[in-house]
Amino acid sequence: MKIENTKAQMRKGVLEFCILSVLKDEDAYVAEILSTLKDAKLLVVEGTIYPLLTRLKNAGLLNYRWEESTSGPPRKYYGLTDTGKLFLKELNNTWSELHHAVTLVTSQKSTKNE
Amino acid sequence: MNKTVNINLAGIFFHIDEDAYIKLQRYLEAIKRSFTDTQGRAEIIADIEARIAELFNERVLLERQVIGIKEVDEVISIMGQPEDYLVDDEIFEDEPQSKNTKKTTTSKKLFRDTDHSYIGGVSAGLSHYLGIDTIWIRLAWILLIFGLGTGVLLYILLWILVPEAKTTAEKIMMTGEPVNISNIEKKIKDGFDTVTETVSDVAKNVSDSVSGAAKNVQEATKKADFQKQGQRIKSSSQTFFDAIGDIIMFFFKVIAKFVGILLIVISSAALIALIIGLFSVGVANFIHIPGLDLVDIVNAGETPIWFVSLLALFALGIPLFFLFYLGLKILITNLKSIGNFAKFTLLGLWFIAVIGLVIIGIRQASEHAFDETYIEKTQLSAPKKETLSIKMVGHDNFGSSIYRHSNFKLAHDDEGHKMIYSSDIDLRVKSTTDSVITVVLEKSAAGRDYQKARARAKNIDYHFELQNNVLLLDSYFTTDPKNKFNDQKLDVVLYIPENTIVNFKKNTASYIYYRNYDGNIVKKGEVNYDLKIIENDVECLNCPVDKKEADDDSENKKNTKSETHKKVSLKINNIGISIEESTDGKTKKEQQTEVSVKRDANIEERKREVNKTTFQPDLAKIAKTDKNPEIRKLALSKMTFQPAIAEIAEHDKDPEIRKLAVKKMTFQPALADIAEKDNDPEVRILALNKMTFQPAIAEIAKHDKNPEVRKTAVKKMTFQPDLAEVAKKDSDPEVRQLAAEKLD
Repeated sequence: MKIENTKAQMRKGVLEFCILSVLKDEDAYVAEILSTLKDAKLLVVEGTIYPLLTRLKNAGLLNYRWEESTSGPPRKYYGLTDTGKLFLKELNNTWSELHHAVTLVTSQKSTKNE
Repeated sequence: MNKTVNINLAGIFFHIDEDAYIKLQRYLEAIKRSFTDTQGRAEIIADIEARIAELFNERVLLERQVIGIKEVDEVISIMGQPEDYLVDDEIFEDEPQSKNTKKTTTSKKLFRDTDHSYIGGVSAGLSHYLGIDTIWIRLAWILLIFGLGTGVLLYILLWILVPEAKTTAEKIMMTGEPVNISNIEKKIKDGFDTVTETVSDVAKNVSDSVSGAAKNVQEATKKADFQKQGQRIKSSSQTFFDAIGDIIMFFFKVIAKFVGILLIVISSAALIALIIGLFSVGVANFIHIPGLDLVDIVNAGETPIWFVSLLALFALGIPLFFLFYLGLKILITNLKSIGNFAKFTLLGLWFIAVIGLVIIGIRQASEHAFDETYIEKTQLSAPKKETLSIKMVGHDNFGSSIYRHSNFKLAHDDEGHKMIYSSDIDLRVKSTTDSVITVVLEKSAAGRDYQKARARAKNIDYHFELQNNVLLLDSYFTTDPKNKFNDQKLDVVLYIPENTIVNFKKNTASYIYYRNYDGNIVKKGEVNYDLKIIENDVECLNCPVDKKEADDDSENKKNTKSETHKKVSLKINNIGISIEESTDGKTKKEQQTEVSVKRDANIEERKREVNKTTFQPDLAKIAKTDKNPEIRKLALSKMTFQPAIAEIAEHDKDPEIRKLAVKKMTFQPALADIAEKDNDPEVRILALNKMTFQPAIAEIAKHDKNPEVRKTAVKKMTFQPDLAEVAKKDSDPEVRQLAAEKLD
């Protein structure tokens, strides 16, 4: 078992949740989503995001519209659909539960160790 | 200086260096390959292209700036390697959809590894594919190269047919997990584990949800939970069966691969043998290697041998190549196609070659279509009074043995010219009322048409001459190699005036034709005896047995007489004079009785002597000359030399001894001779029963005086027209009936 793989899996596991979160308040195009995720160090390379976006879109969680760009090709602006919003809400709950659970477990261990 | 390419990326126009363009193209290709259509490949690629265009746009500051390899590298490092695009399905997928993606990424493919290559990267590629260290594969190549150059051919073919691993994805596929037993085991274990896990999960979940219900958890979520679990069970059992399916597929694959290997090995071996064989024949013919002249001589159609070799190579080699290709295709899934153009060209070539061979074959066959005979007559005058000797003369250049063979050979004549020579000569003797000897040479040969065959027949060279009452016949004939060998044959017919006494010397024996066939009056056995030519027959003047006389004599007398005759004839032979005086029998008979009395005295002693003798010529001498039938029988029973046995079967006075001799005989023409001429019907029947040659049997059925013999012959006959003839013409009703019964 490689540490890199485990790390990647952990990161990838929350990636969909994060993408949806980025689009929570306002629509964004890929470069914007990418910069947010990259700043947060959730992504190392950009390639990973494309299949994810397509899948989320195909699952009906995202939709997009085209917008002309002054400096390059037209941009795809992604936004959440109603289903996407519900899905995100659900994921938010799960995440807080998970976060709580993980903190609980890890802190318990650390107290035991002390 | 660098060539640039114009590209359109997501609707934006870019100048790009050619090498950078190639790199970008490969990158996109590799990414494309890591997705399936169900994942929305086209859309993903379009998005990625758009992003790359954006990134390029950021880097192009001036409008005329060209994108180089540096920019492409930067973009690739931002976007990530193709493997970064691969989504870990187990994490993201609810429904198991991406089986295909998984397969393409984990199963290995054969590529040429040009990064670690010495020549074409074939060995390195194979080492990845087979999981064997490169050094062993290279060693195997070297061994194969020494094994008749198989390796070279195979290497070149693999070089051509196996694609190079250019993109990262291809390189990944090249080094992917090998398909082997431990992997299969892993797969089964995985499948099993998932099932057991899910089962326990479900059990847990059921109890959870039951307790959950107690805790007033919403009904809806519970239901959803059940549904999900059901789905999971389904999907994991699916993986389990998929694993089993994989195992079965694996074994199919193993069998298929085995067949592939078999095909490759067989076809490549045959191909190489074919190429080497035909190439050497073709080339050798072209540069005239001596041994191959023989091939050229039979080749009457005059088609160049190298051309025939080439056609044969195509006709046989192309199907073999396709077999080889098929084998490779089974073995290596991502083999490059040789292309339709190449396929159809090869198919066309094959058709042309086959048609060409058929045409040549027909031409070659038609070379034998006409059989023509060219006849030459020469008259020789020979003094009538003296004995005419006939002798075969050989030629030092054409081998020392004087014996008839129906094949041909190449040799050089005295001037060193190359000659075809053959000893396929039949000698026939006929009687004539003329006063001169006429030698008729019937030269025959085959050819494509009448003229060709006749010309070829005419070109047979043959010589004979009459010297001091000895007719010297060449034991061979020759012809120029340019005439080719095409069934050349020579019949020498001697028309000898009646009442001439001739003596065929021993070396003519193999050339003399069967008696009574084509009017020949002399038989092979009569060589070295003086023969008087009478009308359509010969009279042997000093042969050991006189059958006509023997007919009426009593047994004892016969023995005595034959004994003396033999004795006398032997003496005469030794002295070498003709014996016309043999007709006056009386004085002789007395002499003979004296001798026989002397001989009878020590019968027992002679028996013992015979028993001791093992030397065949001695036994033959006793079997031929002893006057006591018992001793002759004893000697005969110990004999093995066929010609001597035949002689006894032909000449012995005692029918019992002749019968015994016939029983020991195997040589068909001699048996036919006895079946035809023996005066004892029983002996004839015995000989007849041992015969197999149908025309001779038919001859006896038609001409034998004894109805019993004819019946026996009819029983052995199979040829319908002859049977019909007998059924129609035989004088004996029983024979006719027997023959009629055998008619269909």
